[in-house]
This record gives sequence, structure tokens and C-alpha cells, in this order.
Amino acid sequence: MDGVAVALADDRLDETFAALANSTRRAILARLVAGEASVNELAKPFQLSLPAISKHLKVLERAGLIVRGQRAQYRPCTLDAAPLHEVSRWAEQYRPIWEDRFDRMDTYLQQLQHTETGTDHDR
Amino acid sequence: MTDDDTSDSVVIERVFPAPPESIWRLWTEPEHFAAWYGPSGASVRVITMDVRVGGRRLLHMEVMTPNGAMQMWFAGEYREVVENQRLVYTDFMADENGNTLSPELTGMPEGHPTTTEVRVELKNIEGSTRLVLTHVGIPAGSPGAVGWAMALDKLEALVAGGDEA
Repeated sequence: MDGVAVALADDRLDETFAALANSTRRAILARLVAGEASVNELAKPFQLSLPAISKHLKVLERAGLIVRGQRAQYRPCTLDAAPLHEVSRWAEQYRPIWEDRFDRMDTYLQQLQHTETGTDHDR
Repeated sequence: MTDDDTSDSVVIERVFPAPPESIWRLWTEPEHFAAWYGPSGASVRVITMDVRVGGRRLLHMEVMTPNGAMQMWFAGEYREVVENQRLVYTDFMADENGNTLSPELTGMPEGHPTTTEVRVELKNIEGSTRLVLTHVGIPAGSPGAVGWAMALDKLEALVAGGDEA
């Protein structure tokens, strides 16, 4: 049932995961933790053209992971960590599924133990 | 955030009143695994359970819905097998042959973690077993998927550190 539960997740997470599934974009986010930066500053550590960096920034912006400033010439990027916390909530959907399984595992274990005390071998 | 909090995984701990050897069997022997794994109202059948590193797993799940029985298959591969101690495997929705389903078929757009990794750690505590389960989401089509999980953890730690500064 995991797949079904996961399918119920907020659509927004699809974009967050897609945005995070790229090492350049993660590196950009890691850089922005230190503070806002311009596109030029972000491009420096990577051997990528400015248009390529801009493309990554658009993906991050669409996923809500960064915010771009509004000044025409200098549009600094800032990190918005909120979607990362949503990722955390996504994972939490698995908790009730496993709690439920563990309850059944516990019950099954007791059944087995009863069976085993009744016979020398359980199989 | 708690100490154990990781951004993309869920960690659950439970103590079972049986030694690790018994718990290990519940995870690695088909008839035992099928007996407890499925959600209530579903029947689970283990088709393949080749418990060794690189070995495959395939489960069939049938869930009754108002529209009739819904058939699902879950497949994966065992990544770490340390008897009575540690079991790591991947899990994804599949067809009846264990081939992964495209994100469109599972109703999940590209980029969604359609593959997940399950880690089971068992520790003997005076005859009982402490089980620590970690379930990690892995984005579809991402190479080095587990590396991704670690990278995200690091990023979250950085974010947390940045808050204090």
C-alpha cells in the first residue's frame, strides 16, 4: 500500500523532489545557506554557462526552494527552506503504515510463540 | 527538530519480546513475511525472496476495493544482509515480472521518489529485540540515490546551522 499512500502526497512535493534530484541544484542550495547570492556568484564554482545556471535557478524557484529579488539588474537569490520541511512530512506518511505493520508483527509473533510452546518444532 | 530527524526518511523503533533470530525469520522467510506485512484487508503473497546481497524480491498484493480486487506488485533488491542484525533492501511498485513501473503508471510524476530503501536493524537486548527501521525516499531516475539522501541530510544540517548563526 506504500505506493497508494505516497500517491496521496501533496503535488507540490513532486516539484521539490525533482528539483533536489540534481547535484548542481543541491550545491546551489548549499551555497545559499551562507546567504543571498547573485547569478554570477552562483555560477562561479560551476563550469556552467549563465543560461545553464539560470535554468537550474528557475527549477528551484518553481519548487519554492529559492526566492529571487525584484531589482531589475541584480536579482539576488535567497533560500527558502520551507519545502525541505515538507519533504520531511512526506516521509512521515510511512510512519502509520509501519506502526500498523509492527502491530501485526507483534500479534503474529505471539501466535507463533503459542504454536511453538505446543510442539517441539515449529516446522 | 529532534536529534534523529532526517529530512527524507522516517525512523521507527520498536522492541519485540523475542530474540533477533526470531525477528530475522519474520523478515526473511516468505510465509512469515507474508503473514504480517500487508495492510489490513490485503492479502500478500511472496513471489521471490532471494535474501542475499543483490538478490531480488517480489511481492504480490491484492487489496479489496468497492470496485473489486486491486492487484499490485512491489519489487526490489537486497543491498545488505547481515544475518540476525541488519537487512537493507529497495522497494518500488512493479509489474508482475518485477519490472519497475514508469512514474505515469503509478500516478506519480517524474521526480517523485518511486523507489524507497528500507533498513532494518536488530539488536538483542536481554532476549528481546530492539528493531530500528529506517525508510528512505529515493527520487526516480536519480543516480546514486542513497547519496542523494545523504546529501539532503547534509543540506538540512546546514539549514539548521544557518538558523543559529
